[in-house]
Amino acid sequence: MFAVLIDQFWSLTIAGIALGFIYVLISLGYTMVYGVLRMINFANSEIFMWGTFGTVITSRDIFHYTQTSEPAKGAKLVLVLVTSLLMSMLVAGLTAVFVEFVAYRRLRMKGTNRLATLISAIGISIALQEIMRLLTNSRPVGAPRVLEKIILTEVWGANIRLDTVITIIAAALIFFVLERFIKLSRMGKAIRAVSQNEDAAKLMGVNLNRVITTTFLVGGLATGAAGFFYITVFEYTKFNIGFTMGMAAFTAAVLGGIGNIRGAFFGGLSLGLLEVYASAVLGTQWKAVTVFIVLVLVLLFKPNGLFGEAVQTTRA
Amino acid sequence: MNKKIKSSLAVVSAAALAFGIASVPTASAAAKTYTIGYQGPLSGGEASTGIDEQNAVKYAIKLFEAKNPSIKIKLVSIDDQGDPAVAGTVAPGVASNKNVLGVVGPAYSGATIASLPYYKSVNMALISPSATRVSLTDPTSPDFGGPIFHRVVGKDDLQGPALAKYATAGVSAAKVFVFDDQSAYAVPLRGFVEAGLKKVSGATLVGGDSVPNTTTDFSPTIAKIKTSGATVVIYTGYYSQAAVFIKQLRDSGSKAVFAGGDGVFNQEFPKLAGAAAEGSKVTGVGGLAGVDKKMEADFVKKMGVSSGVYSVESFDAANILLSGIKAGKTTRSAMLAYVNAYKGKSISGNTIKFDANGDISYGLFAGFTTKNGVLVNTGIIK
Repeated sequence: MFAVLIDQFWSLTIAGIALGFIYVLISLGYTMVYGVLRMINFANSEIFMWGTFGTVITSRDIFHYTQTSEPAKGAKLVLVLVTSLLMSMLVAGLTAVFVEFVAYRRLRMKGTNRLATLISAIGISIALQEIMRLLTNSRPVGAPRVLEKIILTEVWGANIRLDTVITIIAAALIFFVLERFIKLSRMGKAIRAVSQNEDAAKLMGVNLNRVITTTFLVGGLATGAAGFFYITVFEYTKFNIGFTMGMAAFTAAVLGGIGNIRGAFFGGLSLGLLEVYASAVLGTQWKAVTVFIVLVLVLLFKPNGLFGEAVQTTRA
Repeated sequence: MNKKIKSSLAVVSAAALAFGIASVPTASAAAKTYTIGYQGPLSGGEASTGIDEQNAVKYAIKLFEAKNPSIKIKLVSIDDQGDPAVAGTVAPGVASNKNVLGVVGPAYSGATIASLPYYKSVNMALISPSATRVSLTDPTSPDFGGPIFHRVVGKDDLQGPALAKYATAGVSAAKVFVFDDQSAYAVPLRGFVEAGLKKVSGATLVGGDSVPNTTTDFSPTIAKIKTSGATVVIYTGYYSQAAVFIKQLRDSGSKAVFAGGDGVFNQEFPKLAGAAAEGSKVTGVGGLAGVDKKMEADFVKKMGVSSGVYSVESFDAANILLSGIKAGKTTRSAMLAYVNAYKGKSISGNTIKFDANGDISYGLFAGFTTKNGVLVNTGIIK
């Protein structure tokens, strides 16, 4: 039973960390919005899915890579990867702002019940998914291989592959930039102020609408970056991939303490590792069961997740 | 507020009515119109299969109408998304629509089981092009579809051993790892593959896994494959996941032979997986091109796309119902009796004749191998 875990421990660990970082970035989309609005952005899963298409479009339609073309090298490789990353972030960021505008702002302006926006978010997520389904004729879309998956070195029997290394380093970097942004920038302070007390923040002259839009934008940018890494590692997307990834990232956010940015970090990483270990030891059919048992146990002893709720707890 | 609710209810019921209205014949004076249905996934994640099948049905209708100008055929599209829960909500409407004489489909086994009670009560003849679950034609099973259910596709208990044989061909002392995607199609098929492996001399089963069909990270499964030392990996599931998996398997450095069942049989598989798919072995029944190249060219001309999965079967199934209409079987019970007694030729050259449980006598699976990015037919697996 544990033979696989012992035999392939480091391979699994590296894969789990890479997957975990993708979860971290998506769960930021949930956690940021929750921190500020105390509402779950159910459309975040579809924002992620749209983000993956940003990378596909960049490599396939702008740089004309195909399934059979040679992977890029040198400066071209960096150019394509960076453009893809920015494109995914842009697509997801704009989609997130659009979601806020359509599903949240108008209802908020009318002072409707908070639950109404929850439903409108579900509505727009269905719309986003169906639009992509129609655009892609319900078919899965393969992404061309831009980054050759070179095995850099072998550590304790595990292959260290270029794409996983890039994912881990770049995702960590993006996470820390966003974390610093929330902590140190003027806008970040405003976000935290709204998160702590909306009315007080308004009285202090904080522009509520701008703060909320920025929150969605930042969450969307992180989620879009996740879309880029997802494509780089798995080279595959489909109109319905959002649900599984969104669910996992949401679980990660709750595990770490939703609304808490550091919580998203540790929640995402633990979930990524937990998933691969559980799949290897018990069989992949037990993955979801194990994850939710752990989630229930954690919430039983720490009802607000491992790191507690809310964005404001990240203050220095 | 109340008014609003009422008016929205009115819209909903109007939409519900429209389904019934859509199939009312709009016959011109010269031609008589008859209605048949196609049931399968036309939206949702499995829609590409349903669209491929329905295109073949539409094509059969086109050819039929060209030959029989005095008959017009109306096709009712029944979208069950391949999902039993959805099938249970759409089937009653079709059953109560008296114009529908017979149905090509349902495409998927689970959706078939959910639809059967509604169709049984109205004697609706069903001819599925792709529902391969064994229990559907097993009279001792609660899923038994007789006397209304028929299929023009081989069952999984034939496919499983064929897949086991084809996957291990040319590999001496094959160490085989088998995993499924947890779907109602894949789990039993995996059982038949494992049973079939016992009859392949030298082959041993060294491990397995069961991976949800939404998985994109296969690293735990690949870790297991590496630990087991497998030389052959067989996947029972669908092509999109297979493409994601094979890329990751090759990237991990494994050179094990990869094989899959008819769920993987789709030209999208090598397209999605690229170079990683080279040499992969798949069992399936080909598109029209594998049977008749001229017909495929005509199909492309008339339908604007190339024929896809189960198009031979869908075409055959539609033709049975159409020939029934031509023979004047224009009530449901007459059509059912006609189908039960049907004897005719498939475009694949085989003879279609249903046994008492609704199965055809053949059902040989062909082996396909990926060469230069295309699944190439290597002939029937014997």
